[in-house]
Amino acid sequence: MLKVDHDRCTECRMCYIVCRELDINAVYVALEPLHRIEIDPDACTYPGCTACLMYCPAAGSIVEIETGRSMVPPPPEAWQS
Amino acid sequence: MHALLEEFLDKWVWPTMPGAPGADFRLKISRDKCIKGWEINLARTLGDIEEELKTNDEAWKKAHALRGYAAEGVHMSIKQMSGQLLSVDIADQEKYIDLQRMRARQIWDECKHSKLHADVLLGKGWIKDERELMEIAEANEQPLPAYFGLSMMLPHIHPLARAAQNYYTEANACIGIMAYLSLVDDPLVRHEHLSQQDEELMHFMEGKFQLDFYCTDEESQRHVEDVLGYLTYQIGGIAENAPKVRA
Repeated sequence: MLKVDHDRCTECRMCYIVCRELDINAVYVALEPLHRIEIDPDACTYPGCTACLMYCPAAGSIVEIETGRSMVPPPPEAWQS
Repeated sequence: MHALLEEFLDKWVWPTMPGAPGADFRLKISRDKCIKGWEINLARTLGDIEEELKTNDEAWKKAHALRGYAAEGVHMSIKQMSGQLLSVDIADQEKYIDLQRMRARQIWDECKHSKLHADVLLGKGWIKDERELMEIAEANEQPLPAYFGLSMMLPHIHPLARAAQNYYTEANACIGIMAYLSLVDDPLVRHEHLSQQDEELMHFMEGKFQLDFYCTDEESQRHVEDVLGYLTYQIGGIAENAPKVRA
C-alpha cells in the first residue's frame, strides 16, 4: 500500500490527475483544512499500477506503507496491466 | 552528451508508463527534436555561468535577479497565462480541463518565481523591501522573451501543442537549474534554484502526461511537431526545425 509523505510532497496533484485519468480514483483531496493529497488504500491497485510514480516530480514523496520506502518509477518490465 | 542532460533524460524523460497511448510519440519527438535543443540550451547556460563566475563579483547575480523579477513575475504571469487560458476554445474546455489547470497553476508558479528573485535581492541587501522594485526599471522590463512570453506569439495553438511547449520549455528550465546547482556555490542563488526545481519538474510532468495520454492522433501530433519546430528554432536555433510557412 502507498501513502503520501507530506514532508516531501509539493501538492502539485499530478498523482491525482493521473489516477483519475485511469479511473482508479485512489488519490483524493482530503477533507481537512489543508486539503492535502491522500491515497485510499482500498482503491489503490499498487503494485499493479504505479502511474502516480511515473508523473510525480517530487521524488520520494510517495511511500510504501509497510516498509516506509520512498518510491521511484519502476522499470517497464515491472509494470503489471 | 553532457552528464547533466543524461541524468535528466534517465530520471524524467525515459521512464514511461507502459500502455500510455501517446508515449511512443513523445519518446520519438524527444529523440528527434527535443534533445538537440536541450543540449544547445544546456551548453549555452553552462557557458554563461562560467563567464559570470569569471568576473568574481556579484553584479551578475543582481542583474539576474532584477531581470528574473521582470521576466518571471506577476506582470508576466497574469498577462500571459490569462491569454493562454483562453487559447483552448470554450467547446474544448471540458476535454482539456487539465490543460487549463496547467496554465492556472502556472500563474501561481510565476508569482513564486518573482518572490524567489526578490529573496536574492533582499538577502544580499540590494533592496530593503519588495516595494522598492517598483521603482527600478530593470525589475520591470527585460529585453528577452520570457519562457512563455514567446508563446504569446502563438496564442491560439492546438491544446496539445501547448502541452508540448511545457514539455520542451520546462525541461530547459529543469536542466538550467541543474546547471546552476552544479556550478554555483552561493547559498542564496542555490536556494532560489532549489526552490524552483520541483515546480519546473511538475510543469514538465504535466506536458509529459498530456502527451502520453492524449496525443494519439495524426492531427494533434502534427501540431506538436510544428510547435516543437518553432520552439527549437527560436530557442535552440536549430534551423532545420524552422516552421514551414503554409500557403
